[in-house]
Amino acid sequence: MGSEDDVGNLIDVDSGDDDYDDGNSDIPMSSMNSDEEYDFITKDPADIDLLTSQRTQKDYTILKDEDIRRRQEDDIKKVASVLSVSRGAAIILLRRYNWRVSTVHEEWFADEEKVRNAVGLQENPPILQISPDEDVSCGICFESYSFPAGIRAAACGHPFCRTCWRGYICTAVNDGPGCLMLKCPDPSCNAAIGKDMIEDLVAPEYKEKYCRYLVRSYIEDSRNIKWCPAPECECAVEFVVGSGSSDVICSCSYGFCWKCSEEAHRPVDCDMVAEWILKNNAESENTNWILSYTKPCPKCKRPIEKNNGCMHMTCRTPCGFEFCWLCLGSWFEHGRRTGTCNDFRTEEERKFDESERREMARKSLVRYTHYYERWAANQSSREKARRDLHHMQAVQLVKLSEIQCQPETQLKFISDAWLQIVECRRVLKWTYAYGYYLPENEDTKRRFFEYLQGQAETGLERLHMCVEKELNTYLEAAEPSNDFNDFRAKLTCLTGVTRNYFDNLVRAIENDLADVDSVGACSETSSKIADGSSNQ
Amino acid sequence: MQASRARLFKEYKEVQREKSADPDIQLVCDDSNIFKWTALIKGPSETPFEGGVFQLAFSVPEQYPLQPPQVRFLTKIFHPNVHFKTGEICLDILKNAWSPAWTLQSVCRAIIALMAHPEPDSPLNCDSGNLLRSGDIRGYQSMARMYTRLAAMPKKG
Ligand SMILES: [Zn+2]
Ligand SMILES: [Zn+2]
Ligand SMILES: [Zn+2]
Ligand SMILES: [Zn+2]
Ligand SMILES: [Zn+2]
Ligand SMILES: [Zn+2]
Repeated sequence: MGSEDDVGNLIDVDSGDDDYDDGNSDIPMSSMNSDEEYDFITKDPADIDLLTSQRTQKDYTILKDEDIRRRQEDDIKKVASVLSVSRGAAIILLRRYNWRVSTVHEEWFADEEKVRNAVGLQENPPILQISPDEDVSCGICFESYSFPAGIRAAACGHPFCRTCWRGYICTAVNDGPGCLMLKCPDPSCNAAIGKDMIEDLVAPEYKEKYCRYLVRSYIEDSRNIKWCPAPECECAVEFVVGSGSSDVICSCSYGFCWKCSEEAHRPVDCDMVAEWILKNNAESENTNWILSYTKPCPKCKRPIEKNNGCMHMTCRTPCGFEFCWLCLGSWFEHGRRTGTCNDFRTEEERKFDESERREMARKSLVRYTHYYERWAANQSSREKARRDLHHMQAVQLVKLSEIQCQPETQLKFISDAWLQIVECRRVLKWTYAYGYYLPENEDTKRRFFEYLQGQAETGLERLHMCVEKELNTYLEAAEPSNDFNDFRAKLTCLTGVTRNYFDNLVRAIENDLADVDSVGACSETSSKIADGSSNQ
Repeated sequence: MQASRARLFKEYKEVQREKSADPDIQLVCDDSNIFKWTALIKGPSETPFEGGVFQLAFSVPEQYPLQPPQVRFLTKIFHPNVHFKTGEICLDILKNAWSPAWTLQSVCRAIIALMAHPEPDSPLNCDSGNLLRSGDIRGYQSMARMYTRLAAMPKKG
């Protein structure tokens, strides 16, 4: 399915007539220069997050497992020393007050007796005073054991044999985090069983499991620390509440929203995200077909599988028809209009010509489908881009470096392009949810929005295709390609241009499209920059 | 398995030794399987169950006493926390509040206490629970008494 469009052709696409052709540039022309391009990247807050190594200012801290354990250990030591209690008791107290050291101190010094009773750390004399060498019956198995060799008791004195203690604790640990609040097995007894006793009695695997629950509770009880929601990631994020953006990028590179824990969704807000997800669930029966990965070629009707990230499809030979995955229109038709096929109404008119989609009579469903399909397509395209990025970094980079005789350090522009694509697919995805909720009667805003979104989308498709398809030429070359530097310049420029488009789009949406007047700013500039790149 | 068998055997010997210790409870071990028990409990006085004798079936897991036994009523009973059809019992000590220090005997005692003090907020029998929650004590009592007479009293003649 690979196609080799030349740059000129692609860039011409953009200089065609469009509705807003009268603004001035707000993109520094210097961004055409590839050296300053990098400089620009480091200054942009979104990219600082994107390129984690360059992060300078943050509203949050990423905590690795060892960081969490160290902090927890510090808190335990603090409480144990200030209150003069055992480590086990300190843990029980901290757990009770959600690991807030200051609260533990306050409550304890306000009414120690009350706190002791509440958590089961009473200082009453043991219920059973056992003298050494006395035979004692275990309260679980009812066998007799000599004390202290076979019998153990918590502070309360209820005697149980070591085997029964072990069974009791292991059962609780297997049952889940409730083991952190373990009490004496005697049903009428409130005495807490602390970590010290547990460590003394059970096998290492159970100790470790208990400790993991302890670490988990440290995060889950805390108000300003959360686990990174990425499935494989064990990091937690501490957030400075009240700081500006709630987007958080974990060291595993997963970005999520601190407030709602969904994947990062700037520029749309949490409520819209929640509403959109709810809507998608409610419509899941209607939309399942949208997510299929094959569609018939609009020309020859043979099924085409989408396995690339960009939306530009090329049918197999002999057909070779080039079309847009989303609207199934000719890719070249596409290019002649501003933007892509993001504008709903144009597509709606077209769709109603197609008999195969006529059964979707309900207009609202057609409208929803338009936005959902684009949202979902960008989502899967983003996932694909992430995989491609990793493949590129793990495999292709070395190969390319060898073939083209370029030090790997000088190939960073390819990673930057992929990172930009991953981020842009994310933003673009959410702008389709935004578009869905944009009131239909807000005509000016809608035109402005669709214009910006179209610009951004065109730029992104161009960038995505360039790195996805053109890069192969250089990977498959037998010897260093003469035009590799041109490729570098082109890709670097496309990355910068695309980023600027998306910055405009994000800014406009975060302003709720208030600056309808500043329309057009981007259109002219973009063609200039694009032309610049094609001339290099 | 060995531990649970040993523990049940101790309970068995204790039951044999203290046969008349608790006249309201009669625990019997299955002839061929120490993990199956039945109990006959007397309906507590001053409740609609007074005068009835209720049969319970115990099924003891191999992890006993670390895991609770499964208990259900074999005798039909109209009680908010007992499933009318299956006899399943909703009682915290048979679930998350179980302690290995409980015995089959003490479980019987807890069930007798539950008969006297129903918990209408966690009903397994909604009809019964609703009567109590709506404050219709007399309605509840007459229904419960009727089923006690029908199912839990020896038939005369
Ligand atoms: Zn105790
Ligand atoms: Zn024991
Ligand atoms: Zn992570
Ligand atoms: Zn959010
Ligand atoms: Zn075709
Ligand atoms: Zn299209």
